[in-house]
Formats: sequence, C-alpha cells, structure tokens
Amino acid sequence: MVTAVASYLRDFDLKSASVFLLGALLLCPIAALAVLALGDSEGIWPHLLSTVLGRYLANTAGLMVGVACLSLFFGVGAAWIVSRYQLGLSRWFDVVMLLPMACPAYLVAYAYTDVFEYAGPIQGALRQLMGWKTAQDYYFPEIRSMGGAIFVLSSVLYPYIYLLARTAFQKIPASFYEVAALSDRNVFWGVCLPLARPAIVAGLALVLMEVVSDFGTVEYFAVQTLTLGIFNLWIGMNSVIGAAQLATLTFGLIIFLLFLEFYARGDRRFNDTGRRHVPYDLKPVGRKKTTFLVILCLLPVAFGFLIPVSILFYNVVNAPVLTTFSDVLDSFGNSIFVSLVGAFVIMGSAIVMGSAAKMSHNKALQMIANLSAAGYAFPGTMLALGVLTCLSFADGLLERTSLYFAGTLWALFFAYLVRFQAVGYGAVSSGLTKIPMNLISCSRSLGMGPHQTARRVTLPLMRNALLAGCVLAFVDIMKELPMTLLLRPFDFDTLATYAYQFAHSELMDQAALPALIIICAGLIPVMLLNRLVQHQ
Amino acid sequence: MKLKTIISLGLWAGLCMGQSLQAQDLNIYSQREPFLIEPFLKAFTDQTGIKTKVLYSEKGLAQRLKSEGRNSPADVVLTVDIARLSVYDDMGLLSKTASATLEKNIPAHLRSPENTWFALSKRSRILATSKDRVGAAEITRIEDLADPKWKGRICTRPGSHVYNRALMASIIAHHGSEAAEEWAKGLVANLARKPQGNDRAQVKAIYEGVCDVALINSYYYGNMKFSEDAEQRAWADAMNIVFPNQEENDRGAHINVSGGGVAIHSKNKEAAIKLLEFLSEATSQKLYGEVNYEYPVNPAVLVDGELASWGTFKEDQLPIQKIADLSREAQMMIDRVGW
Repeated sequence: MVTAVASYLRDFDLKSASVFLLGALLLCPIAALAVLALGDSEGIWPHLLSTVLGRYLANTAGLMVGVACLSLFFGVGAAWIVSRYQLGLSRWFDVVMLLPMACPAYLVAYAYTDVFEYAGPIQGALRQLMGWKTAQDYYFPEIRSMGGAIFVLSSVLYPYIYLLARTAFQKIPASFYEVAALSDRNVFWGVCLPLARPAIVAGLALVLMEVVSDFGTVEYFAVQTLTLGIFNLWIGMNSVIGAAQLATLTFGLIIFLLFLEFYARGDRRFNDTGRRHVPYDLKPVGRKKTTFLVILCLLPVAFGFLIPVSILFYNVVNAPVLTTFSDVLDSFGNSIFVSLVGAFVIMGSAIVMGSAAKMSHNKALQMIANLSAAGYAFPGTMLALGVLTCLSFADGLLERTSLYFAGTLWALFFAYLVRFQAVGYGAVSSGLTKIPMNLISCSRSLGMGPHQTARRVTLPLMRNALLAGCVLAFVDIMKELPMTLLLRPFDFDTLATYAYQFAHSELMDQAALPALIIICAGLIPVMLLNRLVQHQ
Repeated sequence: MKLKTIISLGLWAGLCMGQSLQAQDLNIYSQREPFLIEPFLKAFTDQTGIKTKVLYSEKGLAQRLKSEGRNSPADVVLTVDIARLSVYDDMGLLSKTASATLEKNIPAHLRSPENTWFALSKRSRILATSKDRVGAAEITRIEDLADPKWKGRICTRPGSHVYNRALMASIIAHHGSEAAEEWAKGLVANLARKPQGNDRAQVKAIYEGVCDVALINSYYYGNMKFSEDAEQRAWADAMNIVFPNQEENDRGAHINVSGGGVAIHSKNKEAAIKLLEFLSEATSQKLYGEVNYEYPVNPAVLVDGELASWGTFKEDQLPIQKIADLSREAQMMIDRVGW
C-alpha cells in the first residue's frame, strides 16, 4: 500500500492528472448507475431469483457462447484465408469482408424475419413446391429464436474480429512461417493464432459486449436475455433501481470475463523484435481450392450484408413511396455530423487513455484507463440514464434556468464517448501492443521527448490501428439507437432514430429507405479505410 | 491550437444558443411515434400560431424529465397506456391543471383525480378471430382464452408488453390474484407459439394459419384494413373483431388510453394547456379516429365512419387508475407464468 502510494506520487504529473480526470469523467455515468443500484428495490430480487433470473442468465450465456463461436469462425477463418492464400482478389476482399459492419443488427433481424418466417417467400415457396398446407406439415427452423439471434448477431458482428485478426496476421513476418515449417508445427494453430490472440480477443470482447447490450434483436426475436430483463424491470415494474442493479450485475459479468483473459494472457509479449521484417508471400492454390475458399469467405458477407440489403432494397423498390425525402436528407446530415465529431472525440480520448495504460508504470492509472472503456458493456438506454444523471447534476451546479448540457448535442457526444470508448481504446491498445518497446526506448534515448516520440514514431506506426478504430467508432455511432433516441435535442433525428419510429411499428416499407441509407453511409468510411491501408 | 480553441468555443456557443432559442416554442416529450401526432400538431399550429417541437423516445422520457428537474425544457408530455401516465404522475412530473374545457370534455374517470393527466383517446383490447376457423359466438370472453379447448390456437405478443400487462392488471382487479394467475397459466398453456412481435404480427399469424385467436388493440385492425400495403389488407381480411365480455351481466371490454399532461416545470403552461384542450375538442377527437382508429374520450363526439362500422361495445368501467396501481403485481405474475 505504502509503495503503491509512493509510486503514485512519484509518477504524478500533469499528464497523469489529465488521464485521471478523463477517466473519472468517463466513469461518471457508470458510477451514477452504481449509486442508483444502491437504492432499495423493494423486494424485487427474491421474485427475480425464483422466476426469471435463471432464464435471463441461461439465455445470455447461450447467446454469448453461440455468437462467440460463430463470429470467431466467420472472422478468424476469413482473415486467415485472405492472409494466407493467393486468391487474386485479396485487396478487394478486405473491403467486402467488412461490409456487414455497416448494418445495424436489429434492422437485419427485421429483414430476415420478413423472408424466413412462415408467411415469407422461402417457406411459401417450399409449401407450394411440396404441397404442404400448414405449419404442422413440416419442420422449418424458427427465425425468431435463440438460433436466429445467434445467426443474425454473428453475421453482422464478425467484422470486428476480422478487422483486428487480419491486421495481426499481416504483421506476422515470413520468418515465423519458416520456423513453423522447420519445427513441424501447424502454422495456424501453432504460430499465427497464438500471435494474433490479443487482437482476436480484443475483437471478440467488442462482439460480446455488443451481444450483452443488444436490445433490438433480442426483443424482436423474443430471446429473454439480461438486457431484456433490465427493461422488464424498469418499464414493466417501474423499478429503475432494480433495473440499475441488474445492469450492474451484467456489467460485473463482462468485467469478470475481461479479467479472465487479461490474466490468462499474463506477461506474454506479442511483438516482433527482429530486425528483418519480410512479409509473408501468399501461398498459391489451385483453381478448385480458390473457388472453395472464396465461397467460404463470401458466406458471412452474404449473411450479414448481401441478403439483408437485397431484402431492404426489394422493400424500397416495391413499396409505395411513403418516406419524405427532405426528412431523410436532414437525418442523413445529422447522422454524418454526429458520427464524424463523435469518432474524433473518441479517438482523441482513446489515444490518451491507451498510451497511459501502456506506457505508464502506475497501476492505478492503468486500471482507470482499462475501466474507462467499460461503458460498452451496458445497454445503451441504461447508460443514457447514467449520462443524463451526470449532466443534470452538472447543470444543477451551473444554476441556470435554461439547460446547459442535458438535451444538447454535448450530451450526445459525451454519451457516445462513454459508450464507444472501448472501440477506440481496443484499437489503440492492440496497435500499441504491436510496437516493440525498444523502438520507443530508442527514440527517447536519441533525445526525443515523449511528445516527439509519439508524433514521429508511435502514431505513424499505429496509423492503421487508429484508422480502424476511427472507422469502427464512426459506424457504431451511425447505427446507435437507444442513447440517441433518449438524449437528443428536440426535432433532431438521425437516420437510426428516423428509421426506428417505423421499424418499431413493424412498418418495414417505410423503414427500409432510411435503413438502406444508414448502411450506405456506413460503407463510405469502410471503403476509405481500406484505401488508406492499401496505400501504405 | 488557437484555431481549435476558437472553433470549439464557437461550437459551444452555437449549441447553447440553440438551446435557449427553444424557449418560445411549445416543447413536447412524446412516447407516441412522431408520424402519429404530426397531423394533430399541424392543425394546432395552424389554429393557434404556436409552433411545436417534439422529442420522441419510447423509453426513459420520465427519467429524462425527472433528472432535468426545473431546467427541463418540456412543456407537455404525451404518452400511451395508463400505467405510463401514472409513472409521470407518481414521480411528480405533471402539474395540476385547472381548465374548464378539459373538465367538460373529458369524463372524470378518464383523468386523474387531481387533474394532472388527461386521457385523450381510447382503445379496446379485443379478440381477433380467424374468419375461416372460428365460429361467430365460439369465443366471447377474455376468460375463455384459458379454456383448454383453445390449446395451441392462441397468439399474443409478449406478456410484459404494456398492453398485455394492463389487461392482466384488469383481470387481477376483477377476479383477484389467485384466479388471475390461474387464467394466465391457462392462457400460456394454450399459446400456439412463443409470444413475439407486435399486435399486427398476431393477425398476420392468424392469416398464416399459425393460430386462430389473438389479442390485439382495436386500432390495429383499422390500420391494417386501410393499409397501403396489400399484404396487410389481406391479413385484416382474414380476421373478425370480437369485443369481449359483452353479455348482459358481463363487465365489458378492457380499455386503455393515450393521454398527456402539463410538465411540472413548464415555462409555457398557458400554451401547454391550450394544446391539451385542443386535443380534447371535437375536431381532434374525430381526428384520432381518422388517423389511428382510436375512440374519442369526449362524450359529445359521436363515433362515426369506419369505427362505427365495427359496432358499439360496452366498456369495462373499472377506474383506469386501478390498472396502473396493479401494474407491478401484473408484471410479477407474467414473470411467474412465463407469458
């Protein structure tokens, strides 16, 4: 304890102070929820324990395991194929594989239900073909189920894993492949997968946090997860306190999982200190195998992008024009604005926190930096509630009659920062992990200060990781619904909130156009990212 | 660095200004979808010259209002479901409103005793039955849904949705907890599939032959029958409307309301009351029927047109406040039976 305090005092300077301050700011909404959770929930827990809690937990765990397996298979598998084999189109692949990232999961869920449910064209055609009359005549997997939720969530979330795994695989030098061959080890299982583990786990953590906090998909598919339970408590039993308690429990679960990985990883290092970095030459494969591999890669893209987008497109083309274009245009502008500003804010904060966690020896500082990314594990609406409490408290301090923070765009940006800090932070830390410490030490010993080192060595080396983080944050904000809905100013619609009012009423025809535009707008930064990476 | 500072200061100032400019307009927090209230607000602005601004969110508006406290820009709260109205009231977010017009237009049992909230339109929770597979008088009461005769033939949305929870509360109010839970168990045992989707999706399921009887809100029928979408018209065409519990000594069909109130810290209370009054007057009350097939609360306004063609029905006279009071117990029961 004494040594900890001493080390804390020794390292304390303006930079640590700013990290602490930023960290505290980011943790405020979570702390507000924790304080709320300390209240009296009036005997909710015995009821929960004896009725629904087991179901919530089992469903959440099932969903997490299912999505983890399927999205790892999609993401790592595709990243490996593209990094290892000469498919002739690998530059093209890097864009294509990321396409599902632009699709909000709940809209994909709506689209799939339209097609795969009993009344949809698939089952309809099957019935006509086989002469079946009713649902009792045959078996068809129910899309509104746990399996459906796993399928939809994995199909749109795997790019998080792909992106980070692909970057990690690319960084592995040819010499490692040679060593693997010489020592008769499997290149994938023995060398590359373990080396890419931090990146893959960072991606998986993002995916799982998205899964736990997802509301739209599980509500539509009626899969009773913890998040759905939080809302049943809050809205159904009018128990905000009970909801905050359940949210805190969920949050604890996520933190526990992250710590497990953190400790399992231990003190291993994953960077290459070799002087000679020769990139690996892609392995040529025969025509048949190429076709097979290409199809394998395209499968998740079809599930997460091609099919749902075609369905939406069909809806737009075949539906009567009901959407007002000027409204859509306004929402489009708003979406781009908040996503762009939000992404920059997030990356700025992520760089500060990420480098603090990596460079500082101060354990408390590292802890704060890691915790600051925890907002991702809360359901958006609950987090929005925390943000609201904080901002209103700040407004109260300012003693003004008209609002200063709450109900302004500041509230939105703050909320995005708290929620998506993890996206930027994950990108920054995995980027930093790949930079050998001795490069930094070298720069410092050559007389460059920490700022110069950051500007001239670290940041350029991390360019790809930073861009990836920026794009992920942009697209995440673009798709974000529950916090924007609750915290936005009057008459301020983003594409997501605009589409929601229709999608919520299950009016897919009206929701399809704004949904398509969300996806298209999300595609632009994805393409941009790919070009930048290629040009390097 | 300087440029950045100037830009961010400018941004800040701009955003703050945007905030203070809002003071003159009438600010509405709405849990109803914007496209549903837009026609009303347009008519209101045309008539009074008062401009309106809307913030729509399905969840958390009461918490937003509460944490904003006296700084809140909200003037009017509009929502659906009696339990949600009560939440605002219980949290002390609605102001007592003295208005002769509102008291004249809205019957006492459809507003709070302190005149904090006012119901503005009514809807009934009805039975949708398959035209092909269910006979005319085969099912007449909500209680029948628990009859084993309907095993595997009933569809509903999840029990924890406000509409079902309110219905559950009304059954607790009429039959007591024990009998109500028996009923809920029976209903769950009869379900054709896991509860899912909204009310529209239940009618679709009848059309598809997944089930024969569904619980829906009355206005869904009108919306589907006159939908621009041919598919939805076909769904509506596959069902009959049954207003439940209509027999001589029975209590009548369960009703729920949409409504609103004046925000406690409104700086524009006069205009806020004007909007509520406007919504309770004959033109708006008729508009509720035309826009969304909801029934008027104003007794002076006659039901006509499409709504009249559905037939008149007896309403459950249970004070709607009672439903709000039982909401929590209803949710716990729904959790227990797994509806």
